[in-house]
Amino acid sequence: MSTDHASTHVVTPWTALTPPPRVDPYVDLSEFEADGDLMVLNLGPQHPSTHGVFRIKLVLDGEVIVKAVGYPGYLHRGVEKLCEKLTFANITPILDKNDYLAPMTSEQCFNMALEKIAGVEVPRRGRWIRTLLAELQRIASHLIAIGTFAMDIGGAIGGGTNLFMWTFRERELILNAFEELTGSRFHYNTSCFGGQRHDLPAGWDLGVIKALDQIERRMVEYADFGTANPIFVNRCRGIGVLGRDLALELGLSGPLGRASGIDHDLRRDAPYHCYDELQINVPVLTAGDCEARYDIRVQEVRESIRLSRQLLAGVPEGPICSEKPNIGPTSVRVKGAPAYVAIEGPRGELGTFLIPTDKGTQPYRMKIRPPSLHAVAVVEHLLPGNNLSDAVAILGSLDPIMGEVDR
Amino acid sequence: MAVTQDDPQTDAVTPDAAPTDAAPTDAEAASFAEAQALASAVLGGVAAPTALDRDSRSYSNPLLDKVISVPGLDVAVATVERLLDWASSNSFFIFPMATSCCGIEFMAAAASRVDLDRMGAIIRPTPRQCDVMVVAGTITVKMAPRVRKLWDQMPEPKWCVAMGSCAISGDFYRDIYSVVPGVDTFIPVDVYVPGCPPNPEELMKGLKRLQVKIGMQRDGTWQRSGMPAEARPETKSLKLGGLLRIGDPDRAAGLSDAQRDASRSLGFDGAEHRGADEDHGNLFDPPESPPASQAAAAELEATHES
Repeated sequence: MSTDHASTHVVTPWTALTPPPRVDPYVDLSEFEADGDLMVLNLGPQHPSTHGVFRIKLVLDGEVIVKAVGYPGYLHRGVEKLCEKLTFANITPILDKNDYLAPMTSEQCFNMALEKIAGVEVPRRGRWIRTLLAELQRIASHLIAIGTFAMDIGGAIGGGTNLFMWTFRERELILNAFEELTGSRFHYNTSCFGGQRHDLPAGWDLGVIKALDQIERRMVEYADFGTANPIFVNRCRGIGVLGRDLALELGLSGPLGRASGIDHDLRRDAPYHCYDELQINVPVLTAGDCEARYDIRVQEVRESIRLSRQLLAGVPEGPICSEKPNIGPTSVRVKGAPAYVAIEGPRGELGTFLIPTDKGTQPYRMKIRPPSLHAVAVVEHLLPGNNLSDAVAILGSLDPIMGEVDR
Repeated sequence: MAVTQDDPQTDAVTPDAAPTDAAPTDAEAASFAEAQALASAVLGGVAAPTALDRDSRSYSNPLLDKVISVPGLDVAVATVERLLDWASSNSFFIFPMATSCCGIEFMAAAASRVDLDRMGAIIRPTPRQCDVMVVAGTITVKMAPRVRKLWDQMPEPKWCVAMGSCAISGDFYRDIYSVVPGVDTFIPVDVYVPGCPPNPEELMKGLKRLQVKIGMQRDGTWQRSGMPAEARPETKSLKLGGLLRIGDPDRAAGLSDAQRDASRSLGFDGAEHRGADEDHGNLFDPPESPPASQAAAAELEATHES
């Protein structure tokens, strides 16, 4: 990580701020006059700032939110039940659609659970490529989070739409590399049981390094947007302060947890893939407000760029996929004890709990632990006490993906 | 200069116009500039449209059915239908009914690389200002009444684009209890854009097809009876057949009970509303009893006979 681009911005610790008056999320509404004081406003399910189809029932006292109740389930597609009907080889492309901003980590997590049950070890080159793709996917996912958050709080006036356009421009560079590798812009289906399906084409790394240079150069502008734009700072600093205790209680992980002071990163604390061979700097902020959640994503993108450069420089030789217990061209037989595998997705701890059937061709039960579900659970605690306009900023900074919340 | 005299195609199309096809001489250009200045003076300071430029005849402006040339002034004549067609097909106000993965590709289509703004499309998140609904993503049973409600809130004329296999047929979530197998089971769809998800370029191609369709609808050349076979490529090979679609009132219903019950409750005005509009209502079953008007007529006839 080049030091000249390091952020010199010092975030005020959240204890020094005057937090908004906390309102009990389970407040008894009978204290208010039903006709005079309160108004019920439905935010969603079709609202551009909910980042998908998520409905929040807001009870307003003037401009101030008194109570917020979240209603997920508008994108419930029965994925876990659907996967019980399919063979293991058919499940990977379906899990791509779960977290549709980071399909690479979704499919890796499932295949790692399979490999853990079967006791199959992925060759080092396969693991290396998985690490590289996961880091690139983290960059692409965080770019969207940054851009859509800026559009939510700024709109066309505060310069937010500019940032939206810019981050999508940079994301296309990553997607170009993925498309060259796997043939698809997303929903890659490149991770399979035992390794990777597609090997790196010749000269692929040169294009990726060029894209990384371009992204790192432009990340300076995005970091400045978070510190030098007064509209942005006024709308984000001290808004939606999420304390460490509440974050721990609700099971938050990933950037949301690290913005609230939870120093936890599975890449460093429980290494998988090739992360034990890398030195990972985990950025941790303590402010816990919307600005910290923005800053932590900017810093994580920079860290991922640094890791991607290291990974690209030292791709080992060898096979990308191990020998598999195949029982046909499209299916494998996996028998063993149930396993839980968790990896660090762009939104936090993404876990898969898998029980194979007795025949070993299908899952008997598959449970996905999505990080966004916990981010959505925060809404009822963060929104009360804030203004209505801040609800949009808080929702944007949480960056939930409803595909994996509802599954 | 889009067309020159050497262009054989131009000569073939307009052989008689060869003398006027010649590049303008200086005197002609000067007189044309003078005429243009006069036209702009007559039009009140508005610059003369470039479509009147005689040298670039290949620039086709659909507004110009006919150009009447009088000395010093060119007058363009157009019909109201073509004017409306041109205006509505080049100024899509798109309502993004984005639920899942296709919504991200829709955002990418609206963002910097593909840039739907180039074709005049503006994305507005409220249905009351929009005329094109792009359904991008899986529509569940819980979400479908909201989609229908938003569709009913859009003012006429309006069009619907089903983007991605989930919106077209439900894709592999088709048999799941909570997923509606295709958005055209409860709202009429004009253009299907297949893919999982379709690339942003594919979406743009679909919108251009919608432009063509709008033009054909205005001209009266659009065949409403029966869908073209290629319109629903994703569903052709699926085994579960017999789904009742908008425009196919005679097909047998193949929905599961939960899907059917959920879809039946879509018309928020109740059964009368569904029966009232042949295109939008009466989704799954032919009416069991004749409509009230027919019954009244039959009753009247019976009384006359007696």
